[in-house]
Amino acid sequence: MSDIAARSDPIEVRFRGGGFAPKSHRWVGFAVFVLLIALMEWGTRTGWISALTLPKPSDVLATFRELWDSGLLFKHLGPSLTRLVVGAALGASLGIGVGILIGLFSYVRAGLVPLVAAIFPVPKIALLPLFVIWFGIDEASKYALIAFGTFTPTVVATYGAVDNVDRSLIRMGQSFGLSWLSIVRKIVLPGAMPGILSGLRISLAIAIILLVAAEMLGAEYGIGAYILEAGSLYDLERLFAGVVILSLLGVLVSAAISLIEKRLLGWRS
Amino acid sequence: MVKFNRRQTLGLMGAAAVSGLATPAIAMNKKIVVGALRFTSHSGSFVAVERGYFADAGLDVELRFFQAAQPMAVAIASGDVDYAVTAISGGLISLADKGAIKVIGGALSEEPGIDGQKILASDAAFKAGLTSPSQLGGKTFGMSTAGSSFHYMGSKVANAEGVEMSFKPLQKVGAIIGALKSGQIDAWSIVPHIAKPLAGSGAVHIIGDISDYLPQYQVTTVFTSSGNAADERQQTTDFLAGFGKGVSDYNSTMIDKAGGDDGINEMVDLIHKYVYTDRPREKAAPSIINGTMRINDGARLNVASVRDQLNWFQSEDLVDGGVTMDTLVDASYVETFEA
Amino acid sequence: MDIRLESISHSYGDTEVLRDINLEIPTGRIVCLVGPSGCGKSTLLRFIGGLERPSTGRVLQLGEQPEGCLNPLTYVFQDFALLPWRSVRGNISLVLEDHGIRGARAREITDDVLARTKLGDFAEALPRQLSGGMKQRVAIARALAVNPAVMLMDEPLSALDSQTRELLMDDLIALWTRQPFTAVYVTHNLAEAVRLGHQIIVLSRRPGSIREAVEIDKPLGERGYADPDLESTQRYLWELMREEARAADEELLDV
Repeated sequence: MSDIAARSDPIEVRFRGGGFAPKSHRWVGFAVFVLLIALMEWGTRTGWISALTLPKPSDVLATFRELWDSGLLFKHLGPSLTRLVVGAALGASLGIGVGILIGLFSYVRAGLVPLVAAIFPVPKIALLPLFVIWFGIDEASKYALIAFGTFTPTVVATYGAVDNVDRSLIRMGQSFGLSWLSIVRKIVLPGAMPGILSGLRISLAIAIILLVAAEMLGAEYGIGAYILEAGSLYDLERLFAGVVILSLLGVLVSAAISLIEKRLLGWRS
Repeated sequence: MVKFNRRQTLGLMGAAAVSGLATPAIAMNKKIVVGALRFTSHSGSFVAVERGYFADAGLDVELRFFQAAQPMAVAIASGDVDYAVTAISGGLISLADKGAIKVIGGALSEEPGIDGQKILASDAAFKAGLTSPSQLGGKTFGMSTAGSSFHYMGSKVANAEGVEMSFKPLQKVGAIIGALKSGQIDAWSIVPHIAKPLAGSGAVHIIGDISDYLPQYQVTTVFTSSGNAADERQQTTDFLAGFGKGVSDYNSTMIDKAGGDDGINEMVDLIHKYVYTDRPREKAAPSIINGTMRINDGARLNVASVRDQLNWFQSEDLVDGGVTMDTLVDASYVETFEA
Repeated sequence: MDIRLESISHSYGDTEVLRDINLEIPTGRIVCLVGPSGCGKSTLLRFIGGLERPSTGRVLQLGEQPEGCLNPLTYVFQDFALLPWRSVRGNISLVLEDHGIRGARAREITDDVLARTKLGDFAEALPRQLSGGMKQRVAIARALAVNPAVMLMDEPLSALDSQTRELLMDDLIALWTRQPFTAVYVTHNLAEAVRLGHQIIVLSRRPGSIREAVEIDKPLGERGYADPDLESTQRYLWELMREEARAADEELLDV
């Protein structure tokens, strides 16, 4: 070894440990947004993008301002938010309930898991006419559609989360003679909470998607109805304004869940 | 605007067809795509394909079927379809406003004396006293979407009766029928071949005719892309020639009964290849015959009705106020009239 | 309270894991169970605490429970089993709540056991903020809170590094010296066994049976780090086990 070291020049060890470590670059995402919108604006202004292909972002903004000024925004947003809140609350709470039952009782699991698997892939939109017959054309059928759509993913996420609760914690609870209810309440539920919340993130996004579907039938006001109308009128400005509202709604819901996670799951690193 | 009388138009079309022999179009046997819905009101295209009128005009026509008028209009704008027939809607006008499409002719029309579109009431509403359009005040009226022809018709009827209705968007005709049958909505208007069997089942009732309110309503129009209208004049003329012949055959057989019952039977057989294909011929025949409405000879276009529709869409703020008749219509292809 | 194991045998399906175990655990003594891996020592511990049922034989509790005992047979687990969403105090009050002990009384007990395990300053910390050794001290404090008749310790120091292990052994000895408790202590670490055990039970490899019971008379308080008296016992134990440990190591799992 020392012979070799004496004979040849030392070579510095090459660094090869870089990359593969995610870092936070929040501004990049923002820059991509701005760049895309600027490109759209420039393209539509110069005519490089035809009026048929994309609306001018500034026109979309103007449409949005009109919506705001005329008060129509809240006339549309009000019913939509009500539908979203009622439907998602119904679906998610039922879903969490059923998911916990599946997670806890093997008979319930044996009975319901195949059923949930069977209804999960059913496009809920296809059932809309049926819901109209069952629940009427007014609000109830819209609640039902959104509730049904959020129910299945919530169930699957919840029982998965319950399954993933650290068994050693449950064993600990049993070894200290905790009652069944205490174990469920104090160990299983908080332990399943991260999984339930991340499932809720997906379920609520689905609820927003289904909002448009729910407002296909018999809705005069609502963001979904607004988008559908704009689509049928081929009014791209209104269409995009509506889509932007839905996107914002999605961002808002996601932020709300992050907030809940921060409060409830502060115990994680 | 140049106006032709009917004979001139036919003559012109004949000339176009004949002269078409010499044009490059026929030499190439030019391939075009024609959009259609599986309705009897699209029979002009079906007859022209089946009887070779398009081929005579030098066109190799591929029919492409759609479930609704809206996607068909978008397909024209995107260039996937060359020509189609559909009702004037807010979407159609918007696409014209964006320079994508042009109305080039007329098709289905209301005509007093010929069975046209019916105003329907649900059984529940009928029993509660909705027996004539004058009682529509405060009722719910079905439509596919805001800015559809249903919206236009309902609004015109309500206007004429001096009442207010609320309109329920239900996207699809099937959904509207379901809602009407189950009493979720009170009223609707639709072409006779759908209205009559519904009324026959007792679940809904016919309470009026659209032609009483819109006597010369230009229900559907022939339209194409702006590019075709402006730059493919020969091809467009050829198409209208073939389409016009198909329409003439349809009208003379089904409305004027020129061929007697045999003619009607033969025509029903032809249409049955495209419409109600899921039903046996004997069941389809009454529906096809019930659905007979006048299709404008030579694709004549009632510009007065089109103008009225455009004005209505603008007054409802469904389309841009700046759209003019010239933006919407290219009147250089067919005879236009005001009625 | 004493524990008596009467002719316990157990099989998982066709695999016999324990054969005819008879053992007495007297009050106030720490009994260590050692043996090659897979000899069924942890299974035996689960039988003693009632978390699992043996195929044949039974586990008996003899005599009175100590006064104020909430949970006579109390485990300390290798992985600590702390609820990550509860503070140190919350983890301890968890096992009191079900016995209706809340408020001031719970606080009193918690403060006492935290003081005994030198955790007084960390009552409000969350488990993720604690080192492994501290976590295990919380688990021990939790076990003490229910004033158990017998502590069932399942490799409690195996997840810790060797220095922390030494510190915790000192802590356990100090706890026992202050107030002797009864414990069954399962370990694969012979150094731990000779430091903490009054009696060391050596199990044979699968199916596990008692090969030898070794008594160590030297009082716990006098045993120290690298104690020469214990060294010989530890060597003796290792000679007993060496061949079996090698055989167990070379065995395929799940056959």
